[in-house]
Amino acid sequence: MMLDEPYRFAEAVSNRRDYIEDQLRGGSPVVGLEYGEGLLLVTMGRGQKKLYETYDRIAMGSVGHPTDIEKLRQAAVDLASVVGFNYSDSDVTLQQIVHFGLGPAVKASFDDIIRSPYIARILLAELDGCEGSLFYTVDYDGSFATHESYAAIGGSLEADRTMQQMLKSDHSVQSGLPASLSAALRGWAAGRYVGLQKESAIEDNGVPSGEITRILKEAMEDDLEVEAIVLDRNSNAKSKYRTLPTEETQAAIDALIG
Amino acid sequence: MPDSSSDGFNFGALPTLGPGADFFDLLKAGGYHFPGQVVAEVSSGQGSAFTPTEGTTILALRYDDGVLIAGDRRATAGNAVIYDRADKVLPIDDHSVMAISGSPAMAYEIARILEHSFQYHRRRQLTEMSIEAKLRRLSILIRDNLPMAIQGIGAVIPIFAIYDSRDEAGKIFFYDALGAQFEVTDFTTTGSGSPAIRGVMYHLNRWGQTRFSDLPREEAIGLSLRLLFTASEYDSATGRYERSADVFPTVKTVTADGISNVDANDLRALHARFIDEG
Repeated sequence: MMLDEPYRFAEAVSNRRDYIEDQLRGGSPVVGLEYGEGLLLVTMGRGQKKLYETYDRIAMGSVGHPTDIEKLRQAAVDLASVVGFNYSDSDVTLQQIVHFGLGPAVKASFDDIIRSPYIARILLAELDGCEGSLFYTVDYDGSFATHESYAAIGGSLEADRTMQQMLKSDHSVQSGLPASLSAALRGWAAGRYVGLQKESAIEDNGVPSGEITRILKEAMEDDLEVEAIVLDRNSNAKSKYRTLPTEETQAAIDALIG
Repeated sequence: MPDSSSDGFNFGALPTLGPGADFFDLLKAGGYHFPGQVVAEVSSGQGSAFTPTEGTTILALRYDDGVLIAGDRRATAGNAVIYDRADKVLPIDDHSVMAISGSPAMAYEIARILEHSFQYHRRRQLTEMSIEAKLRRLSILIRDNLPMAIQGIGAVIPIFAIYDSRDEAGKIFFYDALGAQFEVTDFTTTGSGSPAIRGVMYHLNRWGQTRFSDLPREEAIGLSLRLLFTASEYDSATGRYERSADVFPTVKTVTADGISNVDANDLRALHARFIDEG
């Protein structure tokens, strides 16, 4: 049996990583930002939904295979809903969903060499949890990390890094929604830029600003649509999740591409 | 895959429920037992000392803008008043409200399952549950509660009010203990005080100055306060406003804009106008 040999195991895992990373590389990034009234998630796509309500104050976005994302999304909703019923709505936390749910589930599938892995990277946002607002990212191998103020996932770690650099200098948590939407779209374009490059051509010098406009223009020409949701602190409804109307997102992108 | 949560919820095994995933089934798969199905081993008629708590008078009527749904605040067990601040009008989601008479223990459980079922459906199926399905979910829960109802300790006879955005109209439904669902056109009332006001409601709606469906909001609220007051006059299990406690009946409206709770200040003013001076 191939897996009896440690070297073969390491090789198999490495092959698995290469395979998954190839599949993910061109994925449309998801950007998360904290702003004055709550949290914002933004991505672009061709009509299919990529951002989801997980619970009252928790939302999720993903890069990867739609069916894998769907399974993980539903599992996260199941976990949150059962905890919310058996305990209370305020006992549903993002930490619980990631640490007890998504993290172990994704890792188990990644480690199971003879079965196909989840091809998905996930970004989750929690509004006003026990330690304030928070983002979690879960990678395809089940490793997870927390982020404050901003977070982004693209098709690769390079894309993540480039977007994070951009958001760090571009964004303030006190901003209003229009400014945050604009920063998120520029961040998305930076991640997209990295995703479209040949692997060898990636530089660490950030993305030239002309490229951002070009990428966004191309996205519009390719009929990509902006999808944006907020977890709105000022909402009177039980669930703070709200999809931004097309007029608002279109205005933001028009302002960027002129 | 690992069993990943302390309450026996097996995350790795999901999703196993398929496209029609229902929250009640999910709960049961996770080891939840609906208390309504419990059948006591003691045979009836043995003179058990247990007297169940019960909620009393609730009513709903269609007024010009939507549906009004109201209830007194008393919970009783036999001759004893258990609680005079019980809330028997429970919001289930943005456009539906359930009012309860009968066993509050089972009714609160049913309301909770219902509320979570609706929001679970929206999140998992990415679409709002249809009104027909919402009514059906409630019907199933009441039917599942039949063993409790037959034992005489846990019957739940709710009124369900919902705003139907397709028909642009508020709708009122009531149920029997077996889960049969009936839609009413103008009004309904259930609970121990309801016999005292059912005829009054019919009379007022048929021969009064204004049909209920033409009443403006304030008039409708005032009418509901008068009706509950009337019920309390003839039914000891129905509570009424006491100045010392300053607790008013619960009154909610369901319209295109959602559920609106009539707050204590408005109720105080309307109570003065429709009952003290009226």
